[in-house]
Amino acid sequence: MELTLKKRKRNTIIPGFSLTLGYTMLYLSIIVLLPLSMIFFNTFSMSWSEFFETISHPRAVASYRLTLSTALAAGLMNVVFGTIIAWVLVRYQFPGKRIVDGLVDLPFALPTAVAGIALATLYAPNGWIGQFFDFKIAYTPLGIIIALTFIGLPFVVRTVQPVLQNLGIEIEEASASLGANRLQTFFKVIFPELIPAVITGFSLAFARALGEYGSVVFIAGNMPMETEITPLIIMTKLEQYDYAGATAIATVMLVASFIFLLIINIIQWYTNRKFNQF
Amino acid sequence: MSIQVQNVSKMFGSFQALNNVSIDIESGELIALLGPSGSGKTTLLRILAGLEGLDEGAILFDGHNITNVSPKERKIGFVFQHYALFRHMTVFDNVAYGLKVRPRKERPSKEEIAKKVNDLLALVKLENLADRYPSQLSGGQRQRVALARALAVEPKVLLLDEPFGALDAKVRKELRRWLRKLHNEFHVTSIFVTHDQEEALDVANRIIVMNNGKIEQVGTPEEVYEQPNSPFVYDFLGNVNLFKGRLHNGKLTHGQFEINVPTHLDSHDDAIGYVRPHDIHIEKENSNNDTVAATIVHIHLLGPIVQIELKREDIDEYLEAEVTKEHYRELGIKKGDVVYIRPKQLKVFVPEDFSI
Amino acid sequence: MTKSFEAQPEAPLTVNRTATKSYALQESALIKWTFITISLLFLSLFLILPLVSIFVTALEKGWETYIASITHPDALSAIKLTLTVVLIVVPLNAIFGIAAAWVITKFSFKGKNLLITLIDLPFAISPVIAGLIFILLFGAQGLFGEWLYQNDIQIVFAIPGIVIATLFVTFPFVARELIPLMQMQGITEEEASISLGASGFKTFFLVTLPNIKWGLLYGLILCNARTIGEFGAVSVVSGHIRGMTNTMPLHIEILYNEYQFTAAFAVASLMSLLAIITIVIKNFIEWKAEKS
Repeated sequence: MELTLKKRKRNTIIPGFSLTLGYTMLYLSIIVLLPLSMIFFNTFSMSWSEFFETISHPRAVASYRLTLSTALAAGLMNVVFGTIIAWVLVRYQFPGKRIVDGLVDLPFALPTAVAGIALATLYAPNGWIGQFFDFKIAYTPLGIIIALTFIGLPFVVRTVQPVLQNLGIEIEEASASLGANRLQTFFKVIFPELIPAVITGFSLAFARALGEYGSVVFIAGNMPMETEITPLIIMTKLEQYDYAGATAIATVMLVASFIFLLIINIIQWYTNRKFNQF
Repeated sequence: MSIQVQNVSKMFGSFQALNNVSIDIESGELIALLGPSGSGKTTLLRILAGLEGLDEGAILFDGHNITNVSPKERKIGFVFQHYALFRHMTVFDNVAYGLKVRPRKERPSKEEIAKKVNDLLALVKLENLADRYPSQLSGGQRQRVALARALAVEPKVLLLDEPFGALDAKVRKELRRWLRKLHNEFHVTSIFVTHDQEEALDVANRIIVMNNGKIEQVGTPEEVYEQPNSPFVYDFLGNVNLFKGRLHNGKLTHGQFEINVPTHLDSHDDAIGYVRPHDIHIEKENSNNDTVAATIVHIHLLGPIVQIELKREDIDEYLEAEVTKEHYRELGIKKGDVVYIRPKQLKVFVPEDFSI
Repeated sequence: MTKSFEAQPEAPLTVNRTATKSYALQESALIKWTFITISLLFLSLFLILPLVSIFVTALEKGWETYIASITHPDALSAIKLTLTVVLIVVPLNAIFGIAAAWVITKFSFKGKNLLITLIDLPFAISPVIAGLIFILLFGAQGLFGEWLYQNDIQIVFAIPGIVIATLFVTFPFVARELIPLMQMQGITEEEASISLGASGFKTFFLVTLPNIKWGLLYGLILCNARTIGEFGAVSVVSGHIRGMTNTMPLHIEILYNEYQFTAAFAVASLMSLLAIITIVIKNFIEWKAEKS
């Protein structure tokens, strides 16, 4: 990365370029880059077969499947309900709206461990909510989905909300004046405008869910092969001082997150291009 | 303070913003930098202010090379295009800012600052709004705060970037008059950037016309309007009719027109004649055979000048003419009439003169 | 042909949009209330009930037990440790956030987009991995492990480890709030300040800082909330030593796993109160920022 001012000659009179860039790079390197490079550094200390054996262990593979599927399910839950909530908060007036609006941020503000024990207690078979269901919610993948939905909810709401707010009423008027009914207007005019924001919200929620630990461990039950998420496997290996094994699994997670981010960026780039063409 | 710009060039990436520009400005002048967007006029202004560096050349203030002098030591006052008022400060604090940030030993006392600011606010007629915030002011008022703020540091040069660009027509006229008055009182060398020819012609005592990073023409408003030295300046200042034809034996042929061009006796080439709308002569009867018949398509009858749109009969081209209201009444023409026209005055440029 | 365009003075006629909203732009009341009901039901199940249950469970056995739980020495030392971490982490990340936002928004340079991506990186990484990397760096078998042991410096399973892991996790918060804000504000006010003779530091403190104060505060609040609540990363590096390296969330975990539900929820209720205060401040800031 070449970090020099585009022109060698003084191009701006704003001071502090070297100072702030130097400090930013130094701090970034110490806190993020150097520590993160340890993952790959340590992975290389394993032999290929050891590495492969660790990451393809049935228990690990089961955890990947569980983590991916629950994160996906939670992400989709949030897309549906998050969009509805954003719509309701922007378009309708009802008593208590301001409080509801503020409450949406709760998952950002509430420590994950607190959320975890609260959800586990509520959805346990004898809990306030769990008692009304014939099947178990807590200590099953369903419980994990609930915890991940909780964690991811604000992402979709808070990305869709401003877009809806800024959506000019003119385009809806135009649609109506051209003879579209309300449903057609929503699906043909409003929804396409929301797609980029929905994708962003989903990807943020999904990325967060992939790595989430605090809120999940309490409600998951943590049964190997059934309700053991990947971050928990890393945790277990660490507690057994199996640093190499933990690092190997972490590598898989990191690579998966980066691939996911890459895909999302490509989709974003594609949709932005599509919508900004005129 | 006099200003010399010597062979200044500036690139932004691969874009040549300024190409070997040289200008001499005398102390106390009121200069307009006129040109279309991308012509380099704002870049030149920012280089004069020291807000932008330059690649080649030098800037001299009163004969001293200040090319590498920081903006704070240049003694300039800069009025930004969108005013750049400090939005969290009152009008008073905005104007006082340049005095308050001086190092302690150069800083005037609180009372002196207050007096100075109040004087300036009185000058720009905003003394009652000293406690307002920029967001509570109209565009014209903001512009005046920006001016007062720039004047507070007693600049030797006042630089204004599109000073009236964001204002509505009426306020713009008023501020134009006011800027001229201010300049007459203070006699500080002032340079303003504009893309509006009318503004430049109205306010400045000298105009620098710029295009593609170069200077096209420098002169008084009369000079650049009456004697444009390039097709670009002709086109940019005021409306113009183009006669795209061929030169032959000192005559420009265009449709049935054969116009004598004594300036280009030896050229035998494609050329374009430039005719201002008020230089188109209109008559009802064909008195002379140097005229061409044209149909009146539209008459625009607003104000003392009547604009007439004409369609030529010989070739498929439109022309615009302007006559005074009296002359229009004398002619007694109406839409659909066929009249006879000829250019009273025409300036010809052959392609090598071209830069558009 | 160039002719100046004279802008028309603003028309005095204004249309009240909301008042004239036509029938075609509204859904039927049935749809409206269905949506509102769905939203409220969903939020009740996922947000409101959990929040209420925390306080109810915490107070189940009365005020005395509640007070006893939160004044237990282990709880108090957890609170103290969490506050210590906040006091170190939040200012450090704030300074970084300001520096990073300054360099990114006030200058153009190659690699800027890469830099922005790298700043966001910790958001894409599981907190457990965030903890792991510091074990790999400073743990007994880590890169610096031997050297640290010889010099008798303890980082992991001690307070420095908790601080540095939390620094990593909350790294982007302030920068992320400031970058778009400062991007929007541009650089003309700073240019004006400097053309009027102010120094770089004066320009920052007199012009930039007042303009970004709400955004900065917003970032600080979010950074603070996450610092207080961080669980995964801290859990990895802390070593869970009671009264020593237990932050509030870790203390809750221990109590919960020991079936001391009331005590766990008592500490949890304290943290929930902090969360509610955070949300109130956040909304206040948003309201303030909107007004100014």
